[in-house]
Amino acid sequence: MDLKAIISDLQDFYILSFRGLLGIVRRPFYIKDAVEQMDYAGAGSFFIILLVSLFVGMALSLQLSAELSRLGLKMYTGKVVGISIIREIGPVTTALVFTGRVGAGMSSELGSMILGHQVDTLRVFGVDPIKKLVTPRILSSIIMLPALTIIGTAVSLLGGYYIAVFVSHQSGTVYWSSIRDVLIFENVFAGAFKPFIFGYLIACISCYMGLSTKGGSIGLRSTTTNAVVASIIMIIIADFVLTRVLLYILGFSV
Amino acid sequence: MIVFDTVSLSFGPHRVFEDLNLSIGQTERVAVLGGSGEGKSTILKLILGLLRPDSGRIIIDGEEITSKRESAMRGIRRKFSIVFQEGALFDSLSVKENVAFCMREYSDLSEEEIDQRVMDLLRTVGVAHAKELMPEELSGGMHRRVSIARSLAACNPQMFLYDEPTSGLDPVNAENICKLILELSGNKQGFIIVTHKVYDAISVAKRFIFLYGGKILFDGNRQQLLDTDIPEIQHFIKELNFIDTCKSSG
Repeated sequence: MDLKAIISDLQDFYILSFRGLLGIVRRPFYIKDAVEQMDYAGAGSFFIILLVSLFVGMALSLQLSAELSRLGLKMYTGKVVGISIIREIGPVTTALVFTGRVGAGMSSELGSMILGHQVDTLRVFGVDPIKKLVTPRILSSIIMLPALTIIGTAVSLLGGYYIAVFVSHQSGTVYWSSIRDVLIFENVFAGAFKPFIFGYLIACISCYMGLSTKGGSIGLRSTTTNAVVASIIMIIIADFVLTRVLLYILGFSV
Repeated sequence: MIVFDTVSLSFGPHRVFEDLNLSIGQTERVAVLGGSGEGKSTILKLILGLLRPDSGRIIIDGEEITSKRESAMRGIRRKFSIVFQEGALFDSLSVKENVAFCMREYSDLSEEEIDQRVMDLLRTVGVAHAKELMPEELSGGMHRRVSIARSLAACNPQMFLYDEPTSGLDPVNAENICKLILELSGNKQGFIIVTHKVYDAISVAKRFIFLYGGKILFDGNRQQLLDTDIPEIQHFIKELNFIDTCKSSG
């Protein structure tokens, strides 16, 4: 791919991301579409997020209990599990699962609409495809991913509790009091802010890839794959950048 | 009036049109013929501004659309009604909702009035019984009929555009769609039908444009098409085994 094509693609991506976000505050509002997308993204992802979060929390608690026991610091399991999950693992894990399910779905749905001339039909009818298709998906992602992250984080902490108390034989009271100690504004804000950005990135990347689909079923396959891969990479990079910025803003010393 | 003035278009290394000149009147019944990849459907997309040419001008009713912004194209597009290949119905909406789509977007009609108009349109195209079905439950012929009903609901078009309306249909359904196309255009409305089925084109159109190698190889009436000695067209017609049928039917 030549440089001109890369710049042109980036320009198209930025325009779509900006206009998609702007559509939230500009008429016409496609509320029904946004609610449908929220149902698909939120309610549809609920159980898979619960399941993944539970096992991630349990695995993390297991690893930390083993290591901290060796150092004689088992009573800190709750604190370390809490900080890791609330600030980092909860938001990132939820975003990655969300990408695999919702991002791939968005990309393939829009891709098949492109191949079936449905997007052209919208344009012929004078409907802006970005407002009709992209804005509801952005809105649903930036609302549902934070909500799912809160639920996922809580379930991960429960998983951590189960391992700490029933496998590592620690006191449940100590575990929960450690968790309460880490539930300070700085930690909660650091974990709660990220999903908004992740949700926006996932929706924009997936919609852009979907709307760029060319070349039949093979093209659809590659755009869906590219949407998931690009979203995962961007989540990991954004997580690092956001962590760095948030630690600085919230006054943590590194 | 649609005018293509030295229009050129390429998709990557593939040159679709090279200095294409064409003019089509509002009441003409035109069939655009040609093999796969010759740019038949692309002509419709250029007319609607869904694609922009690399060079040249496209003029619709005296307005040059080539450099118009997307937001300014709505007025131009409302002059046409298009039925895309395979129907292009919205998968997530029922037949009724598909047909009502534009009325809900742009009209102030009440739900009862929309329902009434939808039913009228579905009756016109002969699929009123399918109003509650989803697109995946429709047969190929019903799909096209619903798509035609939806395009009629869109606006009050000056001209109809049909992109391969009979492809993938059995001969009976294809003939029914051709009859419907003729009925809808009546005596005063023109249409452009893009197809590779010569028999269907001959049964509905009066003017025939044959695309080959990025240029117009032939532009004439039915008799001129059947009598032409251009080898590519003779081959195209004979290969499909339609010429004899057409000649015997007069």
